[in-house]
Amino acid sequence: MQTIHLSEPWRVHNPRVSKVIERILNLLAFLLTVGRPVSAEEIRFTVAGYEQGEDEAFRRMFERDKELLRQLGISLEMQATDAFEVEYGYIVPEGGYELPDPGLTDEERAALWLAAQAVRLGGQPSGPEAIFKLGGVPGTIGGEPLAANLGEEVGLLGDLFTAVVEHRIADFTYRERSRAFKAYGLVHRRGHWYLVGALVSGDIRAFRVDRISDLSLRDAQGAFERPADFDVNRSIPDAPWEAGPEEMTAEVVFDADVAWWARREVGANAELTEEPSGAIRAKIPVAHPEAFIGWLLGFVDQAEVISPPELRERLLARVGEA
Amino acid sequence: MTSAKTAKRLTRILSMLPYVIANPGVSVDDLSERFGYRRKELIDDLNLVFLTGLPGYGPGDLIDASVEDDEVYVDTADYFARPLRLTPPEALALLASGMALTSAGQGPPALESAISKLSSVVAPEAEGGLVVDLKEPEFVGLLRSAVEGNRVVSLTYTALGSGQTTERSVEPWSVFSANGNWYLSAFCRTADAERVFRVDRIRAAAATDEGFVAPAEAPPPEVRYTPGEEDVRTVIGLGPAAHWVAAYYPVEDLGDGKIRFSSSDPAVAARLLLRLGDDAKLVEGDEVAGLLADYRQRIRARYAGD
Repeated sequence: MQTIHLSEPWRVHNPRVSKVIERILNLLAFLLTVGRPVSAEEIRFTVAGYEQGEDEAFRRMFERDKELLRQLGISLEMQATDAFEVEYGYIVPEGGYELPDPGLTDEERAALWLAAQAVRLGGQPSGPEAIFKLGGVPGTIGGEPLAANLGEEVGLLGDLFTAVVEHRIADFTYRERSRAFKAYGLVHRRGHWYLVGALVSGDIRAFRVDRISDLSLRDAQGAFERPADFDVNRSIPDAPWEAGPEEMTAEVVFDADVAWWARREVGANAELTEEPSGAIRAKIPVAHPEAFIGWLLGFVDQAEVISPPELRERLLARVGEA
Repeated sequence: MTSAKTAKRLTRILSMLPYVIANPGVSVDDLSERFGYRRKELIDDLNLVFLTGLPGYGPGDLIDASVEDDEVYVDTADYFARPLRLTPPEALALLASGMALTSAGQGPPALESAISKLSSVVAPEAEGGLVVDLKEPEFVGLLRSAVEGNRVVSLTYTALGSGQTTERSVEPWSVFSANGNWYLSAFCRTADAERVFRVDRIRAAAATDEGFVAPAEAPPPEVRYTPGEEDVRTVIGLGPAAHWVAAYYPVEDLGDGKIRFSSSDPAVAARLLLRLGDDAKLVEGDEVAGLLADYRQRIRARYAGD
């Protein structure tokens, strides 16, 4: 039975939710001031809002509350309550609650809010909660929004970002193989997110984030250092065929009609010479011949691979017989 | 109310409190505006806070929240003096959005400094670990100002699939980026229909002096393709290596690895099949089959030096 007190307007619209919020605020106030790990039992009999008759009802309520704290971004750890480690309790570790002050001005907060509105990540613009945490935005923000979509799938990105920020080893499955990976960075380029870094065995790798599954992060923070000469920005090449296992230089002629398009697409690492006819001859670094052939066939017969001969053969094999 | 909504409400309370603690006497209006509150919602939340505090829960233990002459005060809640830290998805979304704008040359100077300040707090040990590259192709700037100024634009456009080049006169509605490409959504006067153009396929563009009246509600910026009556419909069987096609294009899944692919120009389907090689098979579509055979023959002829 819930009673609605009309004299207390804050209870009118949803008394149950108000109770949850009151209880969480009480719990946080206690955890942030008590300065030692506290057991679930102590919380149950100390914090207002947990006066529950049954053990099971308390346990379920407390589990939900812990999950809510996690959603808010609060870190809750278990530590022994005494030197003998007989009993464990909950504690908000140093840095587990508060945001260190980034010293943003109102103008900077407004710029971030505008950016968050203009760019979609995971199918929709981000909600205002992050900006509230940073201190809110005064007034309404004008300006012509840039409409950009950084991908529909945002699921793993948050955890991968944690791996990068906290230098934790990430375990995941990629194309049916298990990988243990030192994540040096996240790159969004050419419409995809890439995780770049090194396998624990040492090899440098880049993985498409949308093909990663079964992700888990190991607990240890600071498990690796990003090498000083590793440049995250340069780890994902400009053209899609520049990343791959086979390295070659392709020499290609593009007819005058399509030269404008080839110029735009070949990437910054290609060497171009224009012929008197307006055609261009390009030397293009290729590491993923199949991706390169796929792109080149878009020109139908208005482009021709001159060398190497095996690339010509592979292209003709893809074209097939009549 | 779901727990997500409860979390949002708590987040707002725990963000608003530090602001009031740092700015005692802030007006109800200013506080409401800054945290997106309606006045009544704010009063509700302050009333709620007033019921909470530390064990004992007596007058000295409860949080002292009050509104006097429209000024808001919160006392005895120093433990809530700092705002909540950002979750990794929140931090990532803010930084990535900001970097997307600056990489496209769209950010004000305040955005650059905001990104740098925020990075130093949320990713202090990972400087340079996040890169968002949203380079703009030629003409994005020109098109964007034409959108803002409602100016008709003349385009030389080479269609992506068919390779055909046309001269068009368009009323530009919006310029946007999706899946790594930039698009122009417009009313095409030449086709007398709404069209979405890929900006990197625009060979030339010029704004004219002619204005136009933009629709009150332009369609949302997204790449969409609705099959029309006269479209060419093709049935394609996809091999394992070509399953991305079903995810990438708006196709009808017929089951059993087969899709129905519709396009206004048969050349679009033919070029796709050419590119897929052995990974796909044309099941139905005579016109496309003819074009595909022609493309293959032309390529072989060129490589044979004919």
